[in-house]
Amino acid sequence: MKFALFTGCVAKGATRELMLATIKSAEALGIDFVEMKSAACCGAGVVSEKNPVLTDAINARTFALAEEQNLDIITICSTCQGNLKKSECHIDSDAEYKDKINYVLKDGGHQYQGGKIKIKHFSNILATPEGKALLKEKIKRPLTGLKAAGFYGCYILRPSELSEYEDPDNPKELEELFEILGATPVYYPSRIKCCGFPIIMMNKDASHELAGNALVEAVESGADCVVTGCPLCHLSLDSYQPEIPSLQKKHYSIPILHLPQLVALALGFSPEEIGMDKHIVSTAGLDKILAQHA
Amino acid sequence: MAKFRIKRFNPEKQADPYYEEFDFEIPEGATLLDCLNHIKWNMDGALTYRMSCRSAICGSCAVKGNGHALLACQKQAAHLLKDGSDTITIEPLGNMPVIKDLVTDFKQFWEKIDQVKPYLQNNEKPPAQEREQSPQQFKKIDDATTCIMCGACYSDCQVLAVDNKFLGPAALAKAQRFVGDSRDQATRERVKELSKPGGMWDCTHCAECVERCPKPAEPFYRIKGLMESALKEGVTNNVGARHALSFVNSVKHSGRLNENKIPIESMGYFNIKGLLDLLPVGLRMLLKMKIPPIIHKPIDDVKDVQRIFEEFGE
Amino acid sequence: MIKHDVLIVGAGLAGMRAALEVCKELDVGLLTKVYPSRSHSGAAQGGIAAALGNSEDDSWEEHMFDTVKGGDYLNDQDAVEEYVKAAPEVIYELEHMGCAFSRTEDGKIAQRSFGGHSKPRACFSADRTGHAILHALHEQVLKHAKSIKVYSEWYMHQLVVEEGRCCGVVVSNIRTGEVEVIHAKAVIFATGGYGRVFQITTNAFAGTADGAIAAFRAGVPLEDCEFVQFHPSGLYRQGILFSEAARGEGGYLLNGKGERFMEQYAPSRMELAPRDIVARAEQSEIDAGRGVNGEDYIHLDLRHLGEARIMERLPQIRQLGIDFIGVDCVKDPLPIQPSAHYSMGGIPTDMFGQVIIDADKTPLKGFFAAGECACVSVHGANRLGTNSLLDATVFGGRAGRTALEYAKKVEFGKINGSHEKARVLDQIEEIFQRDGTESYNQIRNEMKEVMMDKCGVFRDEENLKSCISTIQGLKERYKKGKVTDKGQLFNSELYEIVELGNMLEMAEIISTAALARQESRGGHHRTDFPKRDDENFLKHSLVYPKDGQLELKYKPVVVTRYQPKERTY
Repeated sequence: MKFALFTGCVAKGATRELMLATIKSAEALGIDFVEMKSAACCGAGVVSEKNPVLTDAINARTFALAEEQNLDIITICSTCQGNLKKSECHIDSDAEYKDKINYVLKDGGHQYQGGKIKIKHFSNILATPEGKALLKEKIKRPLTGLKAAGFYGCYILRPSELSEYEDPDNPKELEELFEILGATPVYYPSRIKCCGFPIIMMNKDASHELAGNALVEAVESGADCVVTGCPLCHLSLDSYQPEIPSLQKKHYSIPILHLPQLVALALGFSPEEIGMDKHIVSTAGLDKILAQHA
Repeated sequence: MAKFRIKRFNPEKQADPYYEEFDFEIPEGATLLDCLNHIKWNMDGALTYRMSCRSAICGSCAVKGNGHALLACQKQAAHLLKDGSDTITIEPLGNMPVIKDLVTDFKQFWEKIDQVKPYLQNNEKPPAQEREQSPQQFKKIDDATTCIMCGACYSDCQVLAVDNKFLGPAALAKAQRFVGDSRDQATRERVKELSKPGGMWDCTHCAECVERCPKPAEPFYRIKGLMESALKEGVTNNVGARHALSFVNSVKHSGRLNENKIPIESMGYFNIKGLLDLLPVGLRMLLKMKIPPIIHKPIDDVKDVQRIFEEFGE
Repeated sequence: MIKHDVLIVGAGLAGMRAALEVCKELDVGLLTKVYPSRSHSGAAQGGIAAALGNSEDDSWEEHMFDTVKGGDYLNDQDAVEEYVKAAPEVIYELEHMGCAFSRTEDGKIAQRSFGGHSKPRACFSADRTGHAILHALHEQVLKHAKSIKVYSEWYMHQLVVEEGRCCGVVVSNIRTGEVEVIHAKAVIFATGGYGRVFQITTNAFAGTADGAIAAFRAGVPLEDCEFVQFHPSGLYRQGILFSEAARGEGGYLLNGKGERFMEQYAPSRMELAPRDIVARAEQSEIDAGRGVNGEDYIHLDLRHLGEARIMERLPQIRQLGIDFIGVDCVKDPLPIQPSAHYSMGGIPTDMFGQVIIDADKTPLKGFFAAGECACVSVHGANRLGTNSLLDATVFGGRAGRTALEYAKKVEFGKINGSHEKARVLDQIEEIFQRDGTESYNQIRNEMKEVMMDKCGVFRDEENLKSCISTIQGLKERYKKGKVTDKGQLFNSELYEIVELGNMLEMAEIISTAALARQESRGGHHRTDFPKRDDENFLKHSLVYPKDGQLELKYKPVVVTRYQPKERTY
């Protein structure tokens, strides 16, 4: 398996441990990545607040880059995934619009053809039958005894007409992966809800309450950790966790993992190798759980 | 046989809500509303819900089916039976007080509609005939005008669940219907008002409202339209607008987001309280060496991205 | 006691347009058993008629002639003339309010073809014109909240008439169950139609004849009730409306053999003949065994219009087909059948909205009506598509103006509030006390079935007599029902029972008027009297209450410009 890796900005910035864990787990699984070093930011749903057509053009350029390499795009961020899909849908559904965008891309030597490549999140790839078989084959340390609560991130799910996510109200990918890795999935309503990150600066109280509600629910559903496919959710749930009132009031604390970290753990990497020491909320408790069941 | 598990509440009889099950075979082609009617007319006349047009245009019969808001008349009941489940859970809309069974109180919903001055503002003397509006201009409000005020988006809005000062998706979509209308003259005042706390920038982009909207009104897209209009009008003295501008600037210069700059630029260099708010998380991240690289490296071939930005006049 | 200068019952197009007129000078209460935005006007899809001439030359004279011919010459032509002349101004006024209309390339209000109209004069907003106008008016009502007090989810039980003058209404707050008297100098009814009397109907559940029957019980006759319009394109078995705009945009009607059968019935207008003719043609095909697959439906075929046109002009219809029967009209034809749609008859008014109670135009002072509940009569024996939104808007405004002028001149009438309130409370208590074994649902279903079968598209003496006797039997059984919910709080079961009482009364009035009219005209077709009979029946029927029975009288039709001629298309 070979993919064009669209890292997104945050995996190269505040959550470099995500990048680290992605590379390690991919190597161990034998998945080949070609990093898209000249791809620009997906816009994160923010550039389109200023200029939606520009956003689609920048993303069309990214798609063209992948087409030139004849590789499907793989993302490691729900927000990137959702925003790239959104642009893809906009452009693919309107031939005139595509022409307009290609006209702008032309001077940079790129043309987006459409229909040639797919855009998939790392979790989508692992959740395919091939991905699951590969995981099963390569697992070195099943995560037995670990109760993992998935947290999907809004953009990968909604709007489903653009994200093309099959069942946005009842997704199963993360939980299926947890089972394959030997962990026990925890189902709780907030797994498909918002982490509050997009309004962290505009309405901090509401943002923290969104994150807090989800985390309280996860803790009270018996989860040992929350696992997310989105580094922005990770920031909201991990970096801000010590100041989230609803959580602090109950003296709760719960480690937040990037999905590739969970995969890497099962593939035998140590927490330090995959940057778990970089988290704000300590992940030490997880080692104990895993050791108990080893 | 399907089980309809309905959340019942009648404070005249019992203080707390409870669930009651009604079992019957779903007739072929029956909508969820048909099933509610079947229960009311044959099993329990006291079951209370709103309905009228049964053709997805009056907006009366929005309820929650299996946890998500929908129009009962628009939904085939059988489609709510998924994954071999034989149970459909029906509850009243969220984010509103319940009056009885599936009937909720829309008072605050309508108050928020009122807040956005939901009517055309144009003080010029109208012409003898129609005001002209091109098909392209009509298209800008076409989707927003399909709203039927059913409250499905309001019910499932994730921000409203934690902050009822938020105007919410329906009111913001209604606002966009006028902001986008070529005949309305209050665009600037409107977007200024809507840029205040509780307005457009408090939307958390979860797009839940798009999922729930039974019509093409799909409020999140309309909210994005409001943001575009606000920035176009130069209404930028607020965190949300500054955040967007800082983001765009950063991508334009380096092709990537500059995570060190954006929090400070969003808060505003002179917003002492806002900047102090950032301090704890900043320090926590600093201590873990979790901060982004100080030297912000651009992507390869950033010049092409800059060129595209310029092509679009950014 | 609540007091308003003018009280309006019903908050659809007519009611809200009236409120906007009254609020210019007086205080107004606007009462609705739903919310204004949930009114059934919003379900109108195809358009609103006016001879704007935006796509082809047009004139009010042509609009008038089409309307009169479409109405099979039963229309009062003095009223029709006023009505079509007022049309363009009314459209411009809606546009100035902010109503969103589809546009021509040069920015004018777009207009499309419609059944029975010789010119494209239906102004529209895609296929949700009623919704667009309803919301535009609602926006204005919200804007004038200081002078229009809206009572959402209040139910009107009865009209208060003292000494020949209407002085108010008795209502209840659905949410609390409290019964109140509203004292008003003038009352306007804008309560809509009664399609729910029939089994297959395009109408909302709210269309239950509340206004017409409240007026009738107060001694007001009901005019031309035998004329019920069956819409040619209601969804098979459900009646959900697929706008005539689908045919206006070029859709075909096909029978089971795949033939465009309208060739046999209206060769010059084909699918765009008036609704009565198309509905009869469909029913004839079905009755002759030429329905699709031998079933009771025919096909509305839009496939040749193409996806782009459908998405631009008929997007809601496409979605309705997908949601309700899983048929995408881009790929497959839609199954349709005639469905009860519109009541041409109703509370008799003059062309200013004043309710009149006899052939001498004697007014019931202080009482006004507009919209579908009223009979002006501009539609005669059959209404043309897009003329009803126009009716509601024009006569809503006029009734508002007339009521306003009246209310300015008079004091509040005398009213015995506690007596009036007690009457309604007694009625409610009586329903609560019933301890019978009859099922209201069963009674409602039997009423709807018999009305559809025996008082539907085709009628004859034998069936109508049997229909009346069935309805009378159902009225007896109605008294022996049993209620589950005896609470005060949001008791929707109670209101459904009261509504059923209204509908049974209405069903008897419709079938009685139909039995008496021994001719075929417009929406009323008697197989035993298949010809129009101008000599004996060029007149409006009036059904009065008399000692618990129905009494039939007639009044002449006003003919001005267009003498009755044979009606062919």
